[in-house]
Amino acid sequence: MKYFKETLYDAVCQEFRVDKMYFEQKTEHQHLMIFHNAMLGRVMTLDGIVQTTEADEFMYHEMLTHVPILAHGAVKKLLIIGGGDGGILREVLKHESIDVTQVEIDKAVIDMAIEYLPKHSDSAYDNPRANIVIDDGMAFVKNCSEKFDVIIVDGTDPIGPGEVLFTEDFYAQCKNCLNEGGVIVTQNGVPFLQIEEVKNTYQRLNQHYTDATFYTVAVPTYYGGLMTLAWATNNAELRNVSLDTLEQRFKSANLNSRYYNPAIHLAAFALPQYIVNQLD
Amino acid sequence: MTDPIRTVLYGASDKEISFYQSLVEKHGSPLLLFDSSKLKQQYRALQQALPNVDLFYAIKALPQIDALKELDELEAGFDVASSGELDILLSLKVSGRRTIHTHPVKSDKDIRDALRFGSTTFVIDNLDELKKLQPYRGRVGILLRVSFRSENAKVDLSKKFGCTEDEVANIILQAEQLGLHIKGLSFHVGSQCETSDQHVAAIHSCRDMMLELNKKVKAPLSILDIGGGFPADYALESIDILEFCKPIRAALESLPDDWHIYAEPGRYLIAPAVTCVTTIIGKSIRYGMPWYYIDDGVYGSFSGKIFDHAEYPLQVLTEGKTSTSVLAGPTCDSIDIIDEHIELPELNIGDLIIGHQMGAYTAATRTRFNLLKEAKFIVL
Ligand SMILES: Cc1ncc(COP(=O)(O)O)c(C=O)c1O
Repeated sequence: MKYFKETLYDAVCQEFRVDKMYFEQKTEHQHLMIFHNAMLGRVMTLDGIVQTTEADEFMYHEMLTHVPILAHGAVKKLLIIGGGDGGILREVLKHESIDVTQVEIDKAVIDMAIEYLPKHSDSAYDNPRANIVIDDGMAFVKNCSEKFDVIIVDGTDPIGPGEVLFTEDFYAQCKNCLNEGGVIVTQNGVPFLQIEEVKNTYQRLNQHYTDATFYTVAVPTYYGGLMTLAWATNNAELRNVSLDTLEQRFKSANLNSRYYNPAIHLAAFALPQYIVNQLD
Repeated sequence: MTDPIRTVLYGASDKEISFYQSLVEKHGSPLLLFDSSKLKQQYRALQQALPNVDLFYAIKALPQIDALKELDELEAGFDVASSGELDILLSLKVSGRRTIHTHPVKSDKDIRDALRFGSTTFVIDNLDELKKLQPYRGRVGILLRVSFRSENAKVDLSKKFGCTEDEVANIILQAEQLGLHIKGLSFHVGSQCETSDQHVAAIHSCRDMMLELNKKVKAPLSILDIGGGFPADYALESIDILEFCKPIRAALESLPDDWHIYAEPGRYLIAPAVTCVTTIIGKSIRYGMPWYYIDDGVYGSFSGKIFDHAEYPLQVLTEGKTSTSVLAGPTCDSIDIIDEHIELPELNIGDLIIGHQMGAYTAATRTRFNLLKEAKFIVL
């Protein structure tokens, strides 16, 4: 019997039974697997780290997508950086008035996800409202003349290929691609085990946005409790939209969500003190 | 340290002769023959000699893919010292959790490469090195390398690396203040040890230091890495590893049951699994002595003569009256001499000379001098 052992931390690790290997690719630079696990469905791992599982991906994708969109309330254009598995794209396209540009560095990731993780994108890549660009995320935002209302950064671990998506320079370039009052959200790791990421990201975002903070979601297979999603904008009102307003927007969007709702949206911005202590 | 004395075997069975000759006919010369069953045998023997010790093969001894594959199948761990060594493991899909990174001096890129691979155990021996790990403190496990100088090892590895015993407590307590946990101690008493006395003394010192420190620190030290140093059988006298390790086993018995013990064997595992086949390509009489030139030398598979101070046991396939001869390598440098006083029977161009126990620190350290063709690696 084969097992996958996560390699993120020295002292602890989570282990998944590999019930069926669908796809395994190792190049000189990375090791990618998609396999089936009886409890979690299909699991994708990269370089020994869980990226996503069918069982709990909705928590992550819904929160990274619907919180900024419903907080903003009038999103027309949205940019996704990364997110090759298609989960974010699927969620964004539920909002019928939004046109999406997704920038993914490696087309092979998209092709592989369509084939082996089909429930993630759920045909989103066939949708005419989705404009897919194969490019380096950093290069794209540097050269981009378009403006977006929301930027969603769905990257990998800060140690590895997605490293540049955690730099101050990247956050600064993103600001140039945001419309007035726009918001950027990014995946920012599990702070209980990687508190440095919170501190670093906060300091970097704070240089370029007047309102930088985090909101949280607990995704079971991202071991370690709460995950932080970074939030940065020049419109401080965005995170204080009233429950009533969110309820209205939620209703008219007709999202059919499984994790997201307006109450959890607002509650997600309440941070435990060990995270608050990093924000100064 | 006594001068190494070379063992020479004279003569061979018909079967042996035709075995070597047919390989040379098929693949040319020189050759390095890899016998995976020998590697497996060594691994099992060391496991038996050191029960309850996790073995991490020191890749540096021979970073060869077929050898690594065999060890992977045996579920060995791997001791890596560079990003290059990690890359070959990646191609085998070995999990980072089965590796430890033991180079005491690392760049930030080395650390990130290792973490990305999933290798989370690092070795340090001073505070500057410790601070390099601070940004990754939630993810890493740290071993502190202690220096124990060794007189009876061929290669003293405690000169260049390892803190002194006096420094241990300070480094560990400082680490705690920086929010970094040192999970245990490591040492490497030197390679090709004649006895296990140094291992035993080092185990005892580390045990005492760890027990003492565990009274003071917040999180206990619980790992002891006893390094490498297990000898290869260059004298062909059938080293009994069970016997060699007996005092080590006794010393380890005195440690608390819940500690984890690691070892990083290189030489012992791989040396006997590789045999070098060379061919005499020239001969001459100089200063009244026969000189034989073979097609591999100290810039090639015999590089360990220079870097590792090893004198490999050699075999000539014929018997006969011997005279003191010189055995030289193929490059144009005069340092390229394998032996200046070797008793050899009269040999001819085309005759084979076999080098035994040639897996460790041989091909790993060869150069490309003269652009001579390197010995071809043949998996038996
Ligand atoms: C840190 C370390 N571990 C292990 C080894 C392997 O030693 P041996 O081949 O003597 O077993 C070496 C050899 O240089 C080393 O430097």
